Amino acid sequence: MTFLKELTKGLIKENPIFVIVLGICPTLAVTTSVKNAIGMGMAATFVLICSNTIISLIKNVTPPKIRIPIYIVVIASFVSIVDMVMAAYTPAVHKSLGIFIPLIVVNCIILGRAEAFASKNNMLSSIADGIGMGLGFTLSLIVVASIRELLGTGSWLEMNIFPSTYDPMLVAILAPGAFITLGFLMGVMQMLKNRRK
Amino acid sequence: MKYIIQLGLILLIFCAVASGILAYVNSKTSPVIAARKLLEEEQTRKELLPSAKSFEQVKAAADTNFVYYVASNETGQVIGYAFIAAKNGYSSLVKSMVALDSEYRIINMKVIDQNETPGLGTNCAIESFWKLFRNLGYDDLLVDKDGGKIKSLTGATITTRAVTNSIKEAIAILRTDLEAKAKQGGAQ
Repeated sequence: MTFLKELTKGLIKENPIFVIVLGICPTLAVTTSVKNAIGMGMAATFVLICSNTIISLIKNVTPPKIRIPIYIVVIASFVSIVDMVMAAYTPAVHKSLGIFIPLIVVNCIILGRAEAFASKNNMLSSIADGIGMGLGFTLSLIVVASIRELLGTGSWLEMNIFPSTYDPMLVAILAPGAFITLGFLMGVMQMLKNRRK
Repeated sequence: MKYIIQLGLILLIFCAVASGILAYVNSKTSPVIAARKLLEEEQTRKELLPSAKSFEQVKAAADTNFVYYVASNETGQVIGYAFIAAKNGYSSLVKSMVALDSEYRIINMKVIDQNETPGLGTNCAIESFWKLFRNLGYDDLLVDKDGGKIKSLTGATITTRAVTNSIKEAIAILRTDLEAKAKQGGAQ
């Protein structure tokens, strides 16, 4: 029961982007296309699950005063391992995800979940939290990227949706478009939340 | 004091274990990555110069970082050259593989590595952009904003300029090197 609760809370109730507002930097940077969003989301989810697992396992031997450097060492090591293994054995995936991997180290969702959740809970619920937060992050990225890609290029996942007469709204895929889209989406989320009360 | 040393030691142990694991993974994966990269470059060279039978690697005498390949056909006649040109674009190093004929005109080119602005600069990695460079010689390599013929990508003149100028510079090095070597060969 709690496992399921930890798993689903990241999707809507504690959505990392729209509710906790963590990991906004990569969100703004990679949501220019849906393909990038899926790639970044999956890579971050994987690292999040691994780092949550390890951090919940070592929580009893981690002195609280130096926990942050230890978390960073764990996260950075995982990211480097993922990067090297992917480059060696799945070069095609690495080629399209390669640029996001260094970004994961600085993704504050991962450090945030390590600090707020994995360091205080057991391994099983930490894994559930990692999966849930990772999926919530991925889904939010896909939503933001869908809007930006549709408006900015007239296509979705590189398939043309709008007729060729559509004049792309270039601002949507530029940096300001990211802020505007994210702002509107957060507003909508808040509105829905208030209405439910 | 003792407590601080204890903390330091714990952190040291964590870092040592992590770097040990990383060193192990790196030693296992780096030869695979290097081999794959070489194979990829070889395939791209063959793709750009399909009529070539063999490629000979040559290091430029003036600039030891610049490596080019002399392509020859079945009878051993030189039919062209291939090299990688690289220059900083707007936000990344833009690398392109270029194939020249024996007259130093571009037969074909392909952008093989870039990390430019998505939706704008990244358009340099599509084929319609590569086609702009076909049949161009050293003097034609100039972006339209600089008075040349190459139509720059929308919102990405800097990327276009990086690609164009990197190729132009590489052709200059290649030509100087080949001419110097021909002169040397003649004198011997």
